Amino acid sequence: VPTRVNPKLIEELESFGSVNVQNCYHCGDCSAICPHSDGIFAFPRKTMRLLQMGLEKRLETLLTPWLCYHCGHCSTECPQQAQPGEIMMSMRRWLIARYDCTGIAGLFYRSATTEWITVALIALLTGAGLLSYGLSHGTIRGPGPFLPDTTVQHVYRGTALAVLLLIMVNSLRMSFFAIKGVGSAPAWQIYVRKLYLLPWHFLSQKRLLQCKKGGEEAAYGTWLIHAGLVFGHAIMFVLVTFFLDQMISDRTGTGPIHILRDLGAVLLLTGITCASYGRLRKKQVRYAYSHHTDLLFLWLLCYIVVTGIFQHALRRSGLAMGANIVYLAHLMGVVPWMLRIPFSKWMHMIYRPLALFLAEVIRETKAAQDRSGKSVRDSGTIAL
Amino acid sequence: MRTGIYFCLEADDNLDIRAVSRYAVGMPGIVDIRWFGIQPRLDAPSIAEMLKRKNVERVVIAGGRPGLYKSAFTRALALAGQDPAEVRLAAFRPLHESFLESMERIKLSIACAAHALPYPLSAVLVESRINPATLIIGGGIAGIQAALEIAEAGQQVYLVERTGTLGGHAAMFGRTFPALECAACILTPKMVAASQHDRIKLLTNSELVQVLGKAGSYRARILKKARYVDEKGCVACGLCSEACPVTVPSAFDAGITTRKAIYLPFQQAVPNSFLVDAANCLYQTNQTCGACARKCPNGCVNLDEKDEVIEIAVGSIVMATGYDVLDVHKIGRYGYGKHPNVLTALEFERLTNDSGPTGGRIVCRTQKFSGSAMPAEWTFNPLGVSPRRIAIIHCVGSRDANHNRYCSQVCCMYSLKFAHLVKEKLPDAVCYEFYIDLRAFGKGYEEFAERIRQEGTFMVRGRSTSVTESGNGLVIRGEDIMSDRLLEFPVDMVLLATGLIPAQGSEELSRILGIACDADGWFTELDHNSNPADMGHKGIYVAGACQTPKDITDTVAQASAVAAGVLRHISSGRSWQVISGIPLKEIEARSKSLQE
Repeated sequence: VPTRVNPKLIEELESFGSVNVQNCYHCGDCSAICPHSDGIFAFPRKTMRLLQMGLEKRLETLLTPWLCYHCGHCSTECPQQAQPGEIMMSMRRWLIARYDCTGIAGLFYRSATTEWITVALIALLTGAGLLSYGLSHGTIRGPGPFLPDTTVQHVYRGTALAVLLLIMVNSLRMSFFAIKGVGSAPAWQIYVRKLYLLPWHFLSQKRLLQCKKGGEEAAYGTWLIHAGLVFGHAIMFVLVTFFLDQMISDRTGTGPIHILRDLGAVLLLTGITCASYGRLRKKQVRYAYSHHTDLLFLWLLCYIVVTGIFQHALRRSGLAMGANIVYLAHLMGVVPWMLRIPFSKWMHMIYRPLALFLAEVIRETKAAQDRSGKSVRDSGTIAL
Repeated sequence: MRTGIYFCLEADDNLDIRAVSRYAVGMPGIVDIRWFGIQPRLDAPSIAEMLKRKNVERVVIAGGRPGLYKSAFTRALALAGQDPAEVRLAAFRPLHESFLESMERIKLSIACAAHALPYPLSAVLVESRINPATLIIGGGIAGIQAALEIAEAGQQVYLVERTGTLGGHAAMFGRTFPALECAACILTPKMVAASQHDRIKLLTNSELVQVLGKAGSYRARILKKARYVDEKGCVACGLCSEACPVTVPSAFDAGITTRKAIYLPFQQAVPNSFLVDAANCLYQTNQTCGACARKCPNGCVNLDEKDEVIEIAVGSIVMATGYDVLDVHKIGRYGYGKHPNVLTALEFERLTNDSGPTGGRIVCRTQKFSGSAMPAEWTFNPLGVSPRRIAIIHCVGSRDANHNRYCSQVCCMYSLKFAHLVKEKLPDAVCYEFYIDLRAFGKGYEEFAERIRQEGTFMVRGRSTSVTESGNGLVIRGEDIMSDRLLEFPVDMVLLATGLIPAQGSEELSRILGIACDADGWFTELDHNSNPADMGHKGIYVAGACQTPKDITDTVAQASAVAAGVLRHISSGRSWQVISGIPLKEIEARSKSLQE
């Protein structure tokens, strides 16, 4: 099989945030020090090699970037300051763009301007649409809600459906790429047997705990912040999709929905604060280099949570008009945020458990092949 | 000629770019000065545009490694329609920031390049009175070799050594690579010859404290520390040492054995006389004890001896201060200091040495139980268990941005030598070499590496990451890149091929002498290719590993080269005019005369 080499690959990856790929001289420290690197999924050194050789088709099939939680240990220990951790991060961005069938993700990653303009444009369109709808059905002065919950929920569910569709297509593409890299297709029984891994890793993020902070203690702090963000997101999505009316119409209630809503907001805000603090301070290795998409992600999320809380506060204090305006502003953030999901960093929430599941499937398949005496490696593999 | 100066710096160049630019602007013919940043990526067509706009006819690339950018500029100059041969390089090694002189050198190298004058031709010789005596600092193999060469030629040499004996690191080695010759058999005769030579004055236990004067007539003040033992009278019977109550780690044995506060550095020490380690001697610290003085049958021990400062007049100075070994405690992941059987290269060198603590038997450190109250001690017992699996980790602290950027040059070869010694002494043992790149670059070295491979040593490409303890043994973890797998397996002993660093105090010396160190602290030669032993036309020369890590072969070669330089200096009766004193006009004139 002829191998295609992309000589511009490293330059291409630089727009995704990679640095110093060529510094790597393959001592193997990073792969051996990484708590997640193991057996056939040894990384990050091998990824660096593929990058240096420009083998983009092989890189496309890699699951290893998703097995990395970016503790930064490899980057600290790297004798060449090749920043393998940061390169795994940029590989994730590159893969998100590769998996994306529309090509929009790649545009966003390459150019901050494109991303900002698109987000602003969608926000304005949403604002204009909702405003004209609201004005034709009620009045912005209140006292009743200017935008009926059912309308908002329709808009939301429609957007969510489109997003979900894209996520599914992209996830299938990812699985297709990964399995293509194996050589022979795994038996369907293995998929079934390992399926539990998907929800398990999605909810627990257990592997993050294997990252050792400074080589000794487990990264509980990081795990807590991350778990907070995951559950904050999950709570908000469930509430908005199914309980939007209860969530906002009841002004004085203290039911379970309200407690969950407040909990979600607190979790999200805490996560945002910690991550922003880390990214601005740049003291941790994982936050030393921030891509523009990382910052937009944080700020947009922050904007949504803050306007959400603010509109709620206004509504409770009886300032109907103010509440309506802020609510509109809030939705102007939510819709672009939702539409951006399939093209953004956010997708690691899906890809990571999926990769862990697929990795386990591939591992099992290889082990089965090994047992039945077939060659472990496909003939095309060369030691890198 | 319309000349453009372009700076392409390396990350570690400390350069006051403004000062240099201000100087360069003043030179005639300079039409363009530009700073391209650190390790720039150059695009020849756009540079060509730039050159065309300024109508540049000659390009000077200035920086740490200007040769890297030569091809781009050559192409650009050709594209701009000029003679592509007119690309000149002004190279300056990253220099220590504390040196004013280094700035002068940078300016000079740029001026020379701008006038197409080869840099080494820039200095001029002037008649001067030259003191024929030479001061050599450092009594290792480099210092001894240079001293013998100069003294044999009939000139006076003062050989100053900081420790109590000649020999330096070379005396600690058992065998040399690649021929596996006995190191002591090479060195010991030289040491004895140096000590007995009429024209070599040995000053052991001494340090240089001050230097006055200029090339050809230096006055050096040397602190001769008290030895507390009469060198002439001592017969090295060792009774004083037996009486001494203080026990400290032996530096000669790389800390794996102990010695007393009054000691003979090693059996073949030159001068073969005991000395007192003032920092640990009870008499020196709190005026008690004095057991050695009472015990000495010849009455040679005088614990009240005082340090003295002597002044000598010399014409040339040779730096041969050698190296130290990186402190591996800094690199926590190999567990050095925590696990008793993780050894540095020097420790293993002493262990395998036939005159070492086990008589050359390779054994694991074992715990000696000396009563329940005392903490158990880990020592090398000559009757102890031999390791069955030994791992050697290369590049420990070398080629590593977190420690030393440079390659320590000798580690690959001595690691291969260790593998051979292990195979020779323990035929059943398994030996693993964890390497990144195997640098066997000398005469017969590659063949030696090939031989070690054939002896059955496992060569693992991939520096291992960590050494941890499990049960009784050690577990080493690393990536085997050639066969694409992660390794984690038990070994009995781990040897760390520790990198070399400039000898302690070399920065102080460079300050005393006003000579340049590079960013890593190694002494800087005048020109790497054409003048590797001269330190700047000041009658100061550099030999051996204090310039950059070097093996014995290269050290001895350079020491001899230094001797040639010193002797030429003495017999010609002419000194180089100090470089920073050369005015720009002179450079122009010389450049013109060369072109004619």
